[in-house]
Amino acid sequence: MESTDTICALATPTGNAGVAVIRISGPLALPIGEQITDKRLKPRYAHFVSFYDHHKATLDEGIAIYFPKPNSFTGEDVVELHPHANPYIYQHLLTTLNKLGARLAIAGEFSERAFLNGKMDLTQLEAIADLITSGSEQAARSAVLSMQGKFSKQVQEILQQLILIRTHIEASLDFSEEDIEVETRSKMGEELTILNQTLEKLFIAAQQGVQLQKGATIVLTGRPNVGKSSLFNALCAEDRAIVTNIPGTTRDVVRADIQIGGLPIQLLDTAGIREQAELVEQEGISRAHSAIETADLIIHVVDKPQSILTSKSNEIIVLNKIDLMDATETIRDAIQVSAKTGEGLKQLQDQITIALGITIQNQEPPFSARIRHLEALKRSKHAVQTATQHIQHSSPIELVAEELRLAQQSLAEITGDFTPDDLLDYVFREFCIGK
Amino acid sequence: MQQEFEVIIVGGGHAGTEAALASARMGVKTLLLTQNIETIGQMSCNPAIGGIGKSHLVKEIDAMGGAMAHAADLAGIQFRVLNRRKGPAVRATRAQTDRALYRQTIRTLVENQENLSIFQQEVDDIIVENETVKGVVTRMGLRFTAHAVVLTVGTFLGGCIHVGEQNFKGGRAGDAASIKLADRLREQPLGVDRLKTGTPPRIDGRSIDYSKTEEQPGDNPTPVLSFMGNVKQHPQQVSCHITYTNQTSHEIIRASMHKSPIYSGAIQGVGPRYCPSIEDKVTRFADRDRHQVFIEPEGLNTHEVYPNGISTSLPYDVQLDMVHSIAGLENCHITRPGYAIEYDYFNPMGLKANLETKSLTGLFFAGQINGTTGYEEAGAQGLMAGINAARTVQQKEPVILRRDQAYIGVMIDDLITRGTQEPYRMFTSRAEYRLVLREDNADLRLTLLAQELGLIDTLRWERFCWKKETIEKEQSRLDNTFVQPSHVSKAQGENLFGSSLEREYSMSNLLRRPEVSYKTFAELEQFGPYMEDREVIEQLDIQAKYAGYMQRQNAEIQKSKRLEDTVIPNEFNYANVKGLSNEVLQKLSTVKPSTVSQASRISGMTPAAVSLLLVHLKGQSRKQA
Repeated sequence: MESTDTICALATPTGNAGVAVIRISGPLALPIGEQITDKRLKPRYAHFVSFYDHHKATLDEGIAIYFPKPNSFTGEDVVELHPHANPYIYQHLLTTLNKLGARLAIAGEFSERAFLNGKMDLTQLEAIADLITSGSEQAARSAVLSMQGKFSKQVQEILQQLILIRTHIEASLDFSEEDIEVETRSKMGEELTILNQTLEKLFIAAQQGVQLQKGATIVLTGRPNVGKSSLFNALCAEDRAIVTNIPGTTRDVVRADIQIGGLPIQLLDTAGIREQAELVEQEGISRAHSAIETADLIIHVVDKPQSILTSKSNEIIVLNKIDLMDATETIRDAIQVSAKTGEGLKQLQDQITIALGITIQNQEPPFSARIRHLEALKRSKHAVQTATQHIQHSSPIELVAEELRLAQQSLAEITGDFTPDDLLDYVFREFCIGK
Repeated sequence: MQQEFEVIIVGGGHAGTEAALASARMGVKTLLLTQNIETIGQMSCNPAIGGIGKSHLVKEIDAMGGAMAHAADLAGIQFRVLNRRKGPAVRATRAQTDRALYRQTIRTLVENQENLSIFQQEVDDIIVENETVKGVVTRMGLRFTAHAVVLTVGTFLGGCIHVGEQNFKGGRAGDAASIKLADRLREQPLGVDRLKTGTPPRIDGRSIDYSKTEEQPGDNPTPVLSFMGNVKQHPQQVSCHITYTNQTSHEIIRASMHKSPIYSGAIQGVGPRYCPSIEDKVTRFADRDRHQVFIEPEGLNTHEVYPNGISTSLPYDVQLDMVHSIAGLENCHITRPGYAIEYDYFNPMGLKANLETKSLTGLFFAGQINGTTGYEEAGAQGLMAGINAARTVQQKEPVILRRDQAYIGVMIDDLITRGTQEPYRMFTSRAEYRLVLREDNADLRLTLLAQELGLIDTLRWERFCWKKETIEKEQSRLDNTFVQPSHVSKAQGENLFGSSLEREYSMSNLLRRPEVSYKTFAELEQFGPYMEDREVIEQLDIQAKYAGYMQRQNAEIQKSKRLEDTVIPNEFNYANVKGLSNEVLQKLSTVKPSTVSQASRISGMTPAAVSLLLVHLKGQSRKQA
């Protein structure tokens, strides 16, 4: 029984440990495995590899093993990745795998595939059934949890907007002969734009919720020798990075796992960015650029008030070395810090918590359910965007309808089933149909 | 007295005639039993074939060698393409037909069909032995035996006609209901319920002041419905007219609402939401100050017209007042009163995918008896029931159309998987593969299957093969012919393709651009000669414009194929599947889906339940192996 899609999941318990195992199974397992490791994988050979994200930034190093079908756990092509068991790393790896085309497995799905492919004993049938049942119950529980409160309310609101637009479009397709007033394309376009914005907002909010599980990535940037590594060490409360007064000392990205306000954070120190740099330092700078691209928050460090550039939305400006300045030299919108004396560090930490948009009190339901929601929202958003483009380009209206059907199908993964008959119900309620 | 046949069709309406023709075409000795030979092919409701969603069914029936499209081409007196300015997937042909011509065409087809006999006699009973149907008994006590019986009895089962506070038994105005057969079927474990539908009063066209109405002529050029059709087959073309109800009409209706059997409670059956009576419209959409009324001609040789939009079961005097309040109809003469009709239908969840009842082997149902409405829906089921009845006789596998293959597949799967609470009508929004299931490609989707089943003649098969090959050859030529920047001047590029060509493009790539159509290429003589067949050009254009969506829908189809291919045995016991919730268990046991795919579409099914089912089925097959 050949599956058409490729699944992935963490095969070891969550949390910090020595090594974690991520399994990928399905027709795309090998291409995805080779893409994430940037290496040709030989069958049943333990490769020592680097794991890359889709920006080609290194996430971690570890082992990758390819098990060709049918001699694998599931009987399909399987690739196992063994990174370090750090939540930041494996969540990031899973996200990358999603982007490359492997979806997150549902509970019991690996075992189900193994069984369907004759990899498991008949005596294990019951155990697998139990696994699927309890897995779905757990998923249901966490779905119920996440369906309470604000998130659910917002999804429902979006759903209602979407249904309303679809009602008009479907009425215009199936009942164009009727004497009914269907919204104009431009009105639909406006509504879709609003819907898109609402979805975008919800997506960002949901993403922040997921962030809480995954932790955030913060990158320190700035010109050479402004004291990034000193600030890095100050935030870590230990000496992790080498600090000298020679510009360009930090040549590679240095990482540390810290907590700020209870939030797990991966803090990255990068090479200072300057133009005249020799080869090794250039490589460090290019790594710094890719770290900046994927970061949730950037701390831009300066040591002179005049070196402030315009700040980006996910950027905090820190004026370092205030112990060496007059009070008059301070600037607005920058947090005044002395990495050396520790002055201003508390304000910086508070600012980081605010900037990440998270209050720590709301504990979120388990990770898997939430990531799934995020994926669904993203697909829905993408479909709505395509629909909007169709409206703008005057494409046939049934293509708009198709995208919105898909948008709702994705949302239905969060909100539950919605059949064509349900939609017709809205049409008949909204319009007087019938010759 | 006993006569032997292989398949018996009961009923000569749209389901019955398609069933009889299909079965006979497949070489099976078939009998069509009808109450009245004169009403074979009768259109009981409005005289029109096609419309959005419905024309898709008509073209599919046609591709399978059915009669409906052909008859509509010969009887159509006004043709229009609805949604013409929208995309090809939702374009739909509609034919206003001459009722008498249509009936005559169908009757001629039926009478001239080899292997098909007709007999006029009401069926009172079905012969059942060991839960298997053996034949039927008519009112005179005549026995006809067969291996399969298809019931297409429309609204005649326990039919009850309502006009105001009066009601009487009847299958259609002027025809008797089948009461005995209804009683007999009610004894079977089939799950019977009541539905309701209605018609407007008919009017003498000579008493209408058309100057107060809007004229609605047919389309020019005139479309055809059959893939083998030809505009020259059309009789004389006429116009429809449009008028509107007004506040006075609505007041008249409201004042007499208590006399309507729907509101008095005399009618229990559920009516369609999309085809409400004028009483319903006035009540549910009270803020509307008018409702559209289409004045549809009944035919070329009659003055009667059908005022579509004012279906009613109000008392006759109220109907008269209401009609007289409408612009253009002030002095009109009503020829037949409008009425509502209640009838028995059987829960279609009691059917297998081949339209055979689960409880009685060899008994097939098609048409309104399954809770549908519309000639096209009935015809499509008739076709499939006729095919499958013949397949039973031939001891061959049933023929089941999938949801990604045809609207017919969507309809039957909807009916048997989810049932229906109101008369079921086809809409394009019911088809998740709407972009793939188009009017224009019904032949490409189904002709090959029809040929394999022996449903079509050589002429159609040859025409189809030519069309298919021509499209494929030209498609591959477009894929492999490249237009270089040097071939077109800058101005020409902008004019033809929306921008000057910066590099080479294959012709099929250029064809995907919104501003380009196949005819655009005519300007580039060096790449000719070009195809001239309208249908071929249409396919090339549509395939290019929809290419991305086709790919996506095809990927979706492939994805569900695994579930489609996993068959659930007929005698499967769901109670043995560990972990299913009671609700799901009960639904599965009722529907008895034939594949895991069908199971997954039952309301309330979860992905986990589907997994459990898959695992269990696999376990079972391994235990047996």
